[in-house]
Amino acid sequence: MEKKKRNLILSVVSILVLIGFIIWAEECTKAFGVYNQRIFKTCCIYAICALSMNMVNGYTGLFSLGQPGFMAIGAYVTAFLTVTPSDKIAIYKIVPISEGLANLNAPFFIALIIGGLVAAFFAFLIGFPVLSLKGDYLAIATLGFSEIIRIFITNAQGLTNGPTGINRIPNDFMNLYVLCGILALVVIFILSMMKTSYGRALLAIREDEVAAQAMGINLFKHKMLAFIISGFLAGIGGGLLASLVGAIDPNQFKFTVAYDILLMVVLGGQGSVSGCIAGAFIVRIALEKLRFLDEPINFGIFEYPGIGGMRMVVFSILLMLVIIKWRKGIFGNEEFSWDKVFNFFSKFKKAPKKEVEK
Amino acid sequence: MAAILETRDVVIRFGGLVAVNLLNIEVEKGEIISIIGPNGAGKTTAFNLITGVYKPTEGVILFDGERISGKRPDEIAKIGIARTFQNIRLFKSLTVLENVLIATHLNIKSNLFSSVLKTPKARKEEKEMVEYAEFLLKETGLLHLKDEKAENLPYGLQRRLEIARALATKPKILLLDEPAAGMNPKESDDLTEFIKNIRDKFNLTILLIEHHMQLVMSISDRIYVLEYGITIAKGKPQEIQENPAVIKAYLGEENDDLC
Ligand SMILES: Nc1ncnc2c1ncn2[C@@H]1O[C@H](COP(=O)(O)OP(=O)(O)OP(=O)(O)O)[C@@H](O)[C@H]1O
Ligand SMILES: [Mg+2]
Repeated sequence: MEKKKRNLILSVVSILVLIGFIIWAEECTKAFGVYNQRIFKTCCIYAICALSMNMVNGYTGLFSLGQPGFMAIGAYVTAFLTVTPSDKIAIYKIVPISEGLANLNAPFFIALIIGGLVAAFFAFLIGFPVLSLKGDYLAIATLGFSEIIRIFITNAQGLTNGPTGINRIPNDFMNLYVLCGILALVVIFILSMMKTSYGRALLAIREDEVAAQAMGINLFKHKMLAFIISGFLAGIGGGLLASLVGAIDPNQFKFTVAYDILLMVVLGGQGSVSGCIAGAFIVRIALEKLRFLDEPINFGIFEYPGIGGMRMVVFSILLMLVIIKWRKGIFGNEEFSWDKVFNFFSKFKKAPKKEVEK
Repeated sequence: MAAILETRDVVIRFGGLVAVNLLNIEVEKGEIISIIGPNGAGKTTAFNLITGVYKPTEGVILFDGERISGKRPDEIAKIGIARTFQNIRLFKSLTVLENVLIATHLNIKSNLFSSVLKTPKARKEEKEMVEYAEFLLKETGLLHLKDEKAENLPYGLQRRLEIARALATKPKILLLDEPAAGMNPKESDDLTEFIKNIRDKFNLTILLIEHHMQLVMSISDRIYVLEYGITIAKGKPQEIQENPAVIKAYLGEENDDLC
């Protein structure tokens, strides 16, 4: 009881602090910095993408790499529907856009949801052939799907403006309130869903497919469910990214995006919402903050010339060290809890005591 | 009485190997039937055929007079056949309670959205699922461990949890694959009582694979003996103990076990 009360107070306080920080970061642009604001926003979006992957890879135990494809669909739908008709006509230079298509327009949030739904629909369509595949085969098939989407986008000039992509995407709503709000909604949805019988069924499939099926769980139906939700979330992530960046082209959705997201999920902990969010923030922030390694640094005595790609090398080494220490990611497949924080620190407190006793 | 479960001339081949050959089992409602036989005789394969993990190469399997061979395992579980596994297959990193709850999912009526939104109906259903799971854990003596991770349970209790989980699907017939494996004589005596108990309490029919002869002889209404996939004998425990073919083929070296 004591502990419960303590944990509740701690949770309320930290949520308030977090909200305070978000307000400060958004309002005091000068103090926090436009650059840091942008990193924060990107982190939120990637956290949604990581949670999308976690739905399938972490909870259901499948190995899917379809995120870039679903993100691209969400991004293009959102961009297409939010760029004003006159801007669209101006942008589509090589193959002019038909008037009907140019006039298709929707308010940002509606466009975003439509983007998510279209991505979810594609997940549903490709779910039929690919969800019966196991392990690596599913990964290859979904990666293939992502590439097909990208190549389609590159070539469907009249619809997507081909390799040039779409720019002038309005970013009216790309503030921290909206992004953190959407992330919070996603988190609440996932946590509530995982507490239902359907969530447990997904976990059962992850734990033991044969046993799950023997207990009456329709594997295909439940994998499809996870896949569709994952597709929807990735679509939303893509839509937000399009709006934040303001310009998209097919190369932003190369299959390497899937590895970046996989990295976040594995680093944070597959099957853990806290882990995915932590992973997304750590990876995005580290990639940005290690940028100085690519540029020359003057140490006085000797000058580091700045090697392009050096930050990736350092980053990968750090990552390997982390994974060696925490094999299952920072959070494993469990959620953050105050009890764990206290246990973690009490370990440190006790350790020196023992030494004294000896 | 009509058989609740019946296999008719069921054959399965894995490449050149005939793992089960012309299997004809008939199980009547309320019976406890054992399948025995040396290692590799095809006992587990017979279970896998009945539960839909494998499709028979030839023959049909009937449940309550309806053909179930060709259906998926989850469909067969819904029809009312539940099982345990020879090499325990629990949902290891989930809790004892969750393991049982998952097996109640097949009868769920609420859809995903009403479950997530916690509509009164969905909330009520979830509460009933938890109550039923806890009732089963109480029946199997595991209630005090409900928040423990399944993998942390000792071996004997894991086997029990598998039975509780199977019961949660509300089966008409329960297939137990070597439930006494690794148990000492005292534990396997307890298990005998336990199996009879759940049969009566849950109105079950039980099909059992077991190597512990004492348990088999004291619990079974009838026994089927398999060897190399072929049914070499069937009958009441007494008849099996006296059957020269069985003694020769299977019990030759283990004759002591029979008494
Ligand atoms: N999927 C499969 N593919 C190929 N061969 C198989 C397969 N499943 C079972 N077998 C073979 O079928 C035979 C019967 O196996 P089964 O597991 O049914 O034996 P069992 O009677 O349960 O033995 P045990 O007492 O050791 O559990 C064995 O020779 C086994 O190798
Ligand atoms: Mg076996």
